[in-house]
Amino acid sequence: MNTYRASRADQKDNKPKMNSSGRAGSPRLGRRIGSGAVLLFLLIAAIVTLFPIYMALLNSVKTQGEMLTNILAWPSMPEFGNYVDAFQKTRYLRSLGNTIIVVAVGLTGIILFSSMAGYKLSRTPGKLSAILFGLFVMSTLIPFHSIMITLVTISKELRLQGSTVGLGLLYIGLGVAVAIFLYHGFVKSIPRELDEAAVMDGCGEFRLFFTIILPLLMPITATIAILNTLWMWNDFLLPLLMLTNYKSYTLLLSTNMLFGEYNNDWSAILASLVLAMLPVIILYLALQKYILHGIAEGAIKA
Amino acid sequence: MTSRTWKRNAILLVFVLPALVFYAAFTLAPAFGGMWYSFTDWNGLGPSYKAIGLSNYVEAIGDRYFLKSLWFTVKFVLYMLVLQNVLAILLAVLVESLGRSKVWFRTIFFMPNMLSLIIGGFMWMFIFTRVFPYLADKTGWMLFDQSWIGDPNYSFFAILALSLWGGVGYLMIIYIAAIQGVPKQLKEAAAIDGAHAFHIFRHVTLPMIYPALTIGVFLTLNSSFKVFDSVYALTGGGPGRSTQVIAINIYEEAFSFSNRYGYASAKAMILFGIVLIITIIQLAVMKRREVRA
Amino acid sequence: MKRALQLLLVLTMMVALVSACGSGNKGNGEGLTPTGGSVTTAPKKVELKVFMTFPRFKDQFEQYFARFKEKQLAEKNIDVTIQLEMPNADQAKQILQSRLSSGDSPDLFTLHANDIPTYYEAGYIADLTGQPFVSKLYEAVAETVKYDGKVAALPMESLSWGYLYNKTIFKENGLTPPQTLDEMKNVAEKLQAAGVKPFLLAFQESWIPQLMMALSLGGTVSSSHPDWIEKMNAGEASYADVRSVFDIIDLIMANGSDKPFETGNEAGSADFANGKAAMWVQGPWNAETILKVNPNMEFGVAPLPVSNNAADTMINLATSTSLALSPKSANKEVAQDLLNYMLDDQDSSALFEELKFNPISTVHTYEVFPWVNEASEYVSKGKAYLDLKLPNGVTDETAKQLQSYFVKDATQDDVIAALDKVWRTAVKSK
Repeated sequence: MNTYRASRADQKDNKPKMNSSGRAGSPRLGRRIGSGAVLLFLLIAAIVTLFPIYMALLNSVKTQGEMLTNILAWPSMPEFGNYVDAFQKTRYLRSLGNTIIVVAVGLTGIILFSSMAGYKLSRTPGKLSAILFGLFVMSTLIPFHSIMITLVTISKELRLQGSTVGLGLLYIGLGVAVAIFLYHGFVKSIPRELDEAAVMDGCGEFRLFFTIILPLLMPITATIAILNTLWMWNDFLLPLLMLTNYKSYTLLLSTNMLFGEYNNDWSAILASLVLAMLPVIILYLALQKYILHGIAEGAIKA
Repeated sequence: MTSRTWKRNAILLVFVLPALVFYAAFTLAPAFGGMWYSFTDWNGLGPSYKAIGLSNYVEAIGDRYFLKSLWFTVKFVLYMLVLQNVLAILLAVLVESLGRSKVWFRTIFFMPNMLSLIIGGFMWMFIFTRVFPYLADKTGWMLFDQSWIGDPNYSFFAILALSLWGGVGYLMIIYIAAIQGVPKQLKEAAAIDGAHAFHIFRHVTLPMIYPALTIGVFLTLNSSFKVFDSVYALTGGGPGRSTQVIAINIYEEAFSFSNRYGYASAKAMILFGIVLIITIIQLAVMKRREVRA
Repeated sequence: MKRALQLLLVLTMMVALVSACGSGNKGNGEGLTPTGGSVTTAPKKVELKVFMTFPRFKDQFEQYFARFKEKQLAEKNIDVTIQLEMPNADQAKQILQSRLSSGDSPDLFTLHANDIPTYYEAGYIADLTGQPFVSKLYEAVAETVKYDGKVAALPMESLSWGYLYNKTIFKENGLTPPQTLDEMKNVAEKLQAAGVKPFLLAFQESWIPQLMMALSLGGTVSSSHPDWIEKMNAGEASYADVRSVFDIIDLIMANGSDKPFETGNEAGSADFANGKAAMWVQGPWNAETILKVNPNMEFGVAPLPVSNNAADTMINLATSTSLALSPKSANKEVAQDLLNYMLDDQDSSALFEELKFNPISTVHTYEVFPWVNEASEYVSKGKAYLDLKLPNGVTDETAKQLQSYFVKDATQDDVIAALDKVWRTAVKSK
């Protein structure tokens, strides 16, 4: 690894030289080798990255026996029965529906409530506003594991345990702080004169917000939506604690349960993993430009 | 206070209230509640419990498994800190040096980030327990013929591999954003001066991504101190408790068989304290940077 | 501070009010299923939630419940839907406990007979005294599920167990089940010399390594420390007093198969069935799983030696998995019918035989399995003891500790200290 990196550095040395003195013949060759090595390295890294997913895909269409004899080979006859099996065992549609409910409830609440709060907190001067904003920001320090025990107790008391909608409500409470912070910062870029003009026109506070401000917040809303969807969709621990009944299991929980129940039956497990990945991968490939942008944006601002 | 301020604050409250209610119920209340329970002997089931002062904290400090999980987590954090950032910067720089194909690589390297580490963990479990033994048979390489899940010395690296697989892409995106922020003229100017690529990297690119490095370091710190999913999926903290991280230790204390909520809360508060200290350092470092810049 | 807490309380209550309406509606939807109007012939719809820890027997139970459904429909005009949930053994207890404590109890659920006192005290299981199935149980078996004079559960697995050994391998090497620790050492050496792994280790699921301690502690305490449990409960004893329990465990671990933590119960059963090792500390409850892989496999059950006194080598008598009824069940009668159907005069025998369970009732008429007879011989010679009743949580901690012990993450002293501690905690929280 070390030697490889060293040689990489050497090869890279050639690159700018030919950039500046592209006339000479041999540096061009050096550039080829240099970028060839870069490409090779990246290709290997890409293969390592995709390898588990590829293995899961490949072996999910093999019978148990074929998997044992040659794990790397192409299946002689694709066996889609595993998928039927996994589909039933994870109660796929129901689990998917549950996941969507959780994310929908959580996302609606987070976006609606945080945009309102973030906007007003940003616009209102004074002590109260500063205190409230501080209160929200404070919690970003608290690790989830420090509050989870009491959170479970509280949700038990409120009869939210076991319900997907209840889980969505919890996510609102957990997610608003960061979202408010992001909205708070973004609102500053919207000229204040806009508010004032609207108020002059006799526009009420709520109408002003919902018809004029909210649409202007769109770019940051998209970022917040992406970050929170990813978080809620992939969160495991809170659903594990909250959803005690398999009827309300999310995709992840169903997959986890299947893994526990059939822990030697890899063909069914792999098929279920592929099924669980499917919605996210599709979403990712379709929206990746926005997703990557949102991720970078969110991380740098937060 | 004038009536205008009153009105302004009233409107503010109306706008903030919905968020505040949820926030208070599901973040603030559990935080204060957890603090309170950490001083009690509550077992999570019965309604009766009593305050027992600091004895949960005293017990935690002498709890062999809690301390071990703490140490295991610190070790994990240190490895992640270095490896995750180095790999992410490396990938970011190399991917950015490519032409049109960079979109492809970016897409691929970020893909694991989209997946839950539970899913990823099960896939890696398959690699470690099925594919590796197969490869060991074929190649005879000792590297493959280890108990990657069952031997804590190896499963540490299995967990590390999984976490890197799932985490590097995220930081790479951040570093790419930073590199794209490096003005092209600067690089070109340096190139004309005859600077080597490595020197350009060290003296032009790297300083420009320093702010991103701060972000990367603290994102890694924060996320790896709280690591749960990847350990849960691969080893469950086992065999025994040999690969337990703090989060798993707290989870087990509270929700597995013993249900000692009070004691687990004390451990949770200790975790909070650690994260708090890290954040304070982070803020201090950032402030100093800003002043210098 | 106090005022802040009050404020939080008020806010919390507000959410409670809002959400109460939501969950109330949902409850209605699930609880009161509309009956088919005024038409008298439309069957009443009932849904039962059944929680069992037998993932390996899922097919068998699904079929058996299907027959129950037909019967209910025919006899009582009730259309029963059974939601059968079967998580794996290591996760099951935690899932069940969180369900029970959140008031979302399944109608019927399995538990270990040793946990009956804890669950009964907590009000999680209903009194079944007087149910028709009780009179069909063998007297001795019925005793194991009684608490406070009441029948608290339907026993499913009644066991006389030790370790399993591969009869073919033993015969080929001219071996018989050893009766003392030294004999066991000899057997292990001979097997090693013959190139056979003496013990199969399948430690991925922590309940399996724990069985070694169940046997070695059971044998040791029952033979030479009869008052140990009492003393432990009084805080006057320690695992250090029975340190010799580790002798046999060390022997097994030193002579075991490779990569035990990547071998679960299923994989272990397959390995054992295929003769990858000569012995396995595992109960005959696994017979079905083993024979499924290799129907011709011949295995026996023998008591695990714990010392050099052959008299200490005894068979463990236990009732493990038992089926209990939730007192909160909304469909108690149907649930009781299902419980009784487990010991149905016609159908039960075939089920228990198929599962390779021991007969527990007069309705079980199938021929006893050979390994049961073998164990019964020891029992008839008086070489048997009743499974120890350890406080809640001790068994689970033992499971973790033995995993740690194997990977040398814990020394004997660590294990002893940890088990003493969990015992103290359990007694204190009672």
